[in-house]
Amino acid sequence: MIPLSETLSQGRELVVEIERRSGQKVADCYQCGTCSSTCAAADAFDYPPHVFMRLLQLGVVDRALTSTTGQLCYDCMTCSSRCPISIDVADVIETTKNIADEQGIRESERGLRLFRNLFLKNVRRHGRLHEASLLAWFNLKSGKLTNDMSLVPLILHRKKVRIIQPRIKNRAQVRRIFQRAKERPKW
Amino acid sequence: MRIGVFVCQCGTNIAATVSTERVASAAMALRDVVHAESIQYTCSDPGQRTVIAAAHKYALDRVVIAACSPRMHETTFQRTMAQAGINPFMMEMVNIREHCSWIHSDMEVATEKAIDLVSMGVAKVRGQTPLFSSHVPVVGEVLIIGGGVAGIQAALDIADAGMPVTLVEKGPTIGGNMARLDKTFPTLDCSSCILTPRMVEVKHHENIRLMVNSEVEQVRGYIGNFEVDIRKKTTCVDEKKCTGCQICEQKCPSKAPDEFNAGVGETKAISIAFPQAVPLVAVLRKEHCRLFIKGKCGICKKVCPADAVDYEQEDELHTEKFGAIVVATGYELFDWRQAYPHYGGGLYPDVITSMQYERMLSASGPTGGRIQRPSDGAEPKEIVFLSCVGSRDESIGRPLCCKVGCMYIAKQAILTREHIPGSRTYVFYMDIRAGGKGYDEFCRRAQKEAGAVYLRGRVGKIYPRDGKLVVMGADTLVGENVEVEADLVVLATGIDAAAGAGSLAQKLNIPYDQYGFLSESHPKLRPVETTTGGIFLAGACQGSKDIPETVAQASAAAAKVIVLLSHDELETSPMIAEVNHMRCIGCFKCREVCPYHAIEEQGLRDGRRVAVVIESLCQGCGLCNVACPPSVISLRGYTDNQLIEEVTEVLR
Repeated sequence: MIPLSETLSQGRELVVEIERRSGQKVADCYQCGTCSSTCAAADAFDYPPHVFMRLLQLGVVDRALTSTTGQLCYDCMTCSSRCPISIDVADVIETTKNIADEQGIRESERGLRLFRNLFLKNVRRHGRLHEASLLAWFNLKSGKLTNDMSLVPLILHRKKVRIIQPRIKNRAQVRRIFQRAKERPKW
Repeated sequence: MRIGVFVCQCGTNIAATVSTERVASAAMALRDVVHAESIQYTCSDPGQRTVIAAAHKYALDRVVIAACSPRMHETTFQRTMAQAGINPFMMEMVNIREHCSWIHSDMEVATEKAIDLVSMGVAKVRGQTPLFSSHVPVVGEVLIIGGGVAGIQAALDIADAGMPVTLVEKGPTIGGNMARLDKTFPTLDCSSCILTPRMVEVKHHENIRLMVNSEVEQVRGYIGNFEVDIRKKTTCVDEKKCTGCQICEQKCPSKAPDEFNAGVGETKAISIAFPQAVPLVAVLRKEHCRLFIKGKCGICKKVCPADAVDYEQEDELHTEKFGAIVVATGYELFDWRQAYPHYGGGLYPDVITSMQYERMLSASGPTGGRIQRPSDGAEPKEIVFLSCVGSRDESIGRPLCCKVGCMYIAKQAILTREHIPGSRTYVFYMDIRAGGKGYDEFCRRAQKEAGAVYLRGRVGKIYPRDGKLVVMGADTLVGENVEVEADLVVLATGIDAAAGAGSLAQKLNIPYDQYGFLSESHPKLRPVETTTGGIFLAGACQGSKDIPETVAQASAAAAKVIVLLSHDELETSPMIAEVNHMRCIGCFKCREVCPYHAIEEQGLRDGRRVAVVIESLCQGCGLCNVACPPSVISLRGYTDNQLIEEVTEVLR
């Protein structure tokens, strides 16, 4: 049971903060479900995007903050581009996740945040994803060195992952993208 | 006798299953048939010309057209007959499409059946005699029953066309439910600001006679010639003398429930409904008056400066003639208390109806525009609206949608935000039905700008806890139960036809449905007509409607009335019942069964009492025909002999 009189009052401050940072209005969402039906990862989330939006509408922020939605979302932005009222759903989800990070809310599955950070670092460094090094770093940093090691010969053999992969031409430009994203006045 | 038979192919509609050539050649073999042919599209212009040419060439005096249903094209071909110089009623349509080609697949069998049907038609048309329409004069006055926005609109439109109108209103003032509303969706313009000028216009219009506190008692007659008894109930106040000064109301010691304000606040036994009432005349309600209950008072009579109060005043009965009637009796809110014990059944004072809330929103209402809890007068902060209370609920036998609930809730939610800053509104809904122009945007505005929290789900229970009302519902979008601690709960109650609409319909002899809504003649093509000629519908008496729809329908009904009354005479169908007076035994069984009151008693010179058909009333249904014990009533165009000939033919 959701005690609405309570959640709407208590959750209000945080919803306003999410709205301010993301520049979106959660009340705009009319719950059509396009975001969820277009989301490739919705099945993995505890709350598909439209329910995530609904929770914010009802002020149930604690569930939104601990939700796996923000942690597992791969920011493909399809939800945002398909939304019939042009809500940047992905931004709302990400903003909520960032606030959860700031508040030190524990991730639902260990390594999610680590993977995310390593992924971005990897792309920044190589200009594109260098999968082999990402896998190596992840195993190293997560302290599970032997994790999935038995698969290594097979993926190498099938050329799923290459150890040596051609570099992109202008890595500096990609770095500038990262720089700009950081500098963008989001809040 | 020279009969022509025309077998229509209707493109492939008939020809694909029935060999029209074979039907035509079989028809040629029938007695009296001098010409038969198959035509591709008989109803088309060349098709009709073929019929006319054949009629001339073969000097036809009777025609059988085997084609579609007479409902589809009988009038078309009657016109063709007139062009060919043949009495239109000497044409018989045989339906070989709906009754044959469309429902069969075997060509052989279908063709055989079509031949049978055509031979029956030929047998029937042999016995046909020319019939001629008669004319009845039309009374030029119009009666409008109900003085809400529908009745007002229709009255003004008809009166502007120069026709005298009598507007009969049951209550003490015109204006109806619209006069009780504060604002209107989706524009939020003030309801009375747009309505009261129209009310005043009615009062001053030279072609409109306004009769308030009046009810229709009895209706006789028929299209163009109705005779109506109208009872003007006593109000103990002389309408002509009363100036509307309201001194009587101020001095009156007897309190009375305030119906105009939906029971919010109280009024006096002698009172004026609201400041802009038309006519602005006080009404005394005897059931609440101390003088009539205890026999001692008479203050109002003493204080009245116009000497308008008259305790002896009696009901007046007027009998008037009208050419057409517009029924605009409107709606009432469904009484939810019996049906919803889980919402308190009326026991919790802070569970109110939307009309009560509306009256509180109104600046001229009993609270002066202040929203307050009935229990303690406090200003509510958390207000919950429940839609579909008494609508879309099969368990209480009300599956109908009230059509306006979603919209007025949105309006009230928006207005609440303006009236009580810092308040929060919740709306429990099943679907948001906002189909009109600008309506969906309006509902979105309630959510986005007025911050109304919309929750998709019906409320299961309301109960009091610590001075608040706990509203237990569900939000099916999240898939979880929700709970609100409300200060005030507003029920968007469903809409019913006005009480008495059913009995009025019986007096008018027009059909109505199980909810008391009056039935239109055809849901699409005759939306303001009833099945009784000359009686039209306007507004929510026909089914729930919002204001724009009501006004549009009222103008449509007015247009129909104007068309009807623009003729001095009306043509009547000649296919009606006929009594053979020589053999009538005067039992009047026919009068008992006649649904149109079309049979009257007449004395002959020899002293016998016989039944006579009032031609303009008879609709040709044939009930009297079968009820008549000596079988002396026949239906023109469908005489017993014709039908026997038909049956004999098919049994041959």
